[in-house]
Amino acid sequence: MRNLIAKLTLAAAVLGGGLGTAAAETANIWVRADGSNFMPRIVDAYNKAHTNQVKLDIIPNAEIIPKYGAAAAGGTAPDALSLDLIYTPSFAAAGQLEDITDWAKSLPYFASLSPAHVKTGTYKDHIYGLPFSADASVLIWNKKLFKQAGLDPEKGPANWAEIAADAEKVNALGGNIKGFYFSGNCGGCNIFTFTPLIWASGGDILSEDGSKATLDSPQLRGAIDLYRSMVKKDLVPAGAQTDTGANFFAAFAAGNIGISPSGAFAIGALNTQYPDIDYGVTFLPGKDSGWSSFAGGDNFVVTKGTTKLPVVKEFLDFAYSLEGQTILAKYGSLPVRGDIAKEALKDLDPRYQVASEAMAKGKTPYSVVFNDLINSANGPWTQMINEVFFGDDVDGAIANAQETMQSIIDQAPQK
Amino acid sequence: MTVITAATPAPPRARRVASRQQWIGLLYVAPAVALVVVFFLIPLGMTAWMSLHNWPLMGEHSFIGLGNYVAILRDTRFWNALRFTAFYTVIVTIAIFVVAFPLALFVERPRPLTNLYRTMFFMPAVVGFASASLLWSWLLNVDSGLFSPAAYDLGLIDRKFNLLATFQPAFWSIIAMVVWKVAGFTMIILMAGLQSIPQDLQEAAVIDGAGPFARFRAITLPLMRRTLALALILSVAGSILAFDQFYIILRGGPRNQTLTAVYWIFNQSFVSFKLGYGAALSMVLLVILVALSLVQLWLLRKPEGLD
Repeated sequence: MRNLIAKLTLAAAVLGGGLGTAAAETANIWVRADGSNFMPRIVDAYNKAHTNQVKLDIIPNAEIIPKYGAAAAGGTAPDALSLDLIYTPSFAAAGQLEDITDWAKSLPYFASLSPAHVKTGTYKDHIYGLPFSADASVLIWNKKLFKQAGLDPEKGPANWAEIAADAEKVNALGGNIKGFYFSGNCGGCNIFTFTPLIWASGGDILSEDGSKATLDSPQLRGAIDLYRSMVKKDLVPAGAQTDTGANFFAAFAAGNIGISPSGAFAIGALNTQYPDIDYGVTFLPGKDSGWSSFAGGDNFVVTKGTTKLPVVKEFLDFAYSLEGQTILAKYGSLPVRGDIAKEALKDLDPRYQVASEAMAKGKTPYSVVFNDLINSANGPWTQMINEVFFGDDVDGAIANAQETMQSIIDQAPQK
Repeated sequence: MTVITAATPAPPRARRVASRQQWIGLLYVAPAVALVVVFFLIPLGMTAWMSLHNWPLMGEHSFIGLGNYVAILRDTRFWNALRFTAFYTVIVTIAIFVVAFPLALFVERPRPLTNLYRTMFFMPAVVGFASASLLWSWLLNVDSGLFSPAAYDLGLIDRKFNLLATFQPAFWSIIAMVVWKVAGFTMIILMAGLQSIPQDLQEAAVIDGAGPFARFRAITLPLMRRTLALALILSVAGSILAFDQFYIILRGGPRNQTLTAVYWIFNQSFVSFKLGYGAALSMVLLVILVALSLVQLWLLRKPEGLD
């Protein structure tokens, strides 16, 4: 017992002394599990170089929104949060975030920050979120299987017809090998990888300000036909129909899929976890030419009323430095500062360059009800993609989704 | 004299003893009462309070009276979810009893290896619903699971069949999983009921010439009334609150056809961030559940003249 007390006293003294001499403040920051690779690295680097400290908590992807909401209600929210960028409008609309417009605009490189992030970080002309990590959707192909199928392993498909033709040739290898993979019951995966096919052909699923659902377009129907025809020809594994995202990356990583839409994160993940897979990275193409990408990732947002604003700013400044951007890039996030992106990526896998370019010109849908519309496993988007890719009634599914999405948008709280 | 003096103060002392005993009794149940108050009554009160508000997950809440309840009346997807939940409850309860009753009859009497059988049948009940759902979502996976690939490799089917892609096979897969998971537990309850039936009644009936079916109908079933009530209420309440298996294995699919009431409440609260509305839905579900349980208790009440 005496021993324990002595230890406690010692610990208290050490803690007290440490804090006393440093006179530093500690800010709490949360990140979703997607950032569990790069976030600890950049926090470590920051903590080593600064007297102020950041304490990081990693929260499972599906839990971070409800957990943050509960913490905010109970007054225990973190000082800042690396938040999936598509949630920034709804968080800002809820009055949960600190207005950081003045500070953001004072940054000398503000104009070269990822436009997709800044757009979603802006609510009613005020800035509530700044880009932190980035992920862009791309198309990846298995070079080994392309070679076996008699295709040029260095040339990825550049339009829809080539995707279908290449997938069919790879599929003809038989056995376990399949031509194409997508997660057919995952709204988040398909907004990320399927809508770029539509964008690249000139269509869209939401109006620019998110106030209108615009599903009924020839571009959407064309992209649906592409997927449907591949499903019909059996180029896609049967499990795709019920994949809610669990196999989004894993299916390609197993090495028997010819082509799969994916994201920049796959480059880091394949290189470190599946070094045997020889793959190429290209853009998600339009029907005949052109390309597009979903610019995703996290916005850095500050909880309203936090007292640790200086620490949070210092941390974000560090993340925006060349050193910070390089650390992020090395461990799986694309750089978010366009002006130094090339420099941050110069020693890394050249395939990152494709993803980085995709990021710079990528699009992000804007909506305060994104979760309800798109990501929810039971929302209209998820239901529609599953029905149109695998069901019999394409017209009915599109009409139904259009109506449901519009009614969700119309019922959203207008503040 | 002594008798009288002893008798006169006796009533107050007896009362004092009785009241002290009551206080001691209260003290003994206090921990249980505290648990119920802290973990049931207070949350229940808070849920009721929240249900009267527009209460987003983040930001300010505002009092809207019965607004949420009015909205529920127009929420067709909730009523659809409730209808599916009722359908599921009926089917799964029947399925559980159809499997559990024969099992209970089988393991009731001592015979070789009875303990082994009892353990085997009961084993799945100790697995949590979430873990069991994860296990089955692998078993049911069309590409890397067990059922479909095994049937394909054995040559039973020409091409792999995705059990979770359409409603009927997906729904019956869930039923199979729940029966596998729950039947053992129901079996134990029913077995205890069977064992509490006095053996001499059965023997008397045999001497009177009653066949096995007559004995089951006239002795076993009536005497198991209370046990059946318990098993039935547990099964119905559990099924109406079903969530884990539909969330983990099916995500409410295929095409939102397997959204249960609790799933809808979860979606409203944590996907659409409408906590107040979710609370109102929970209150409605609570009322339905209490009403159903009362009806079941009434149906299976003790008949007149039977102890």
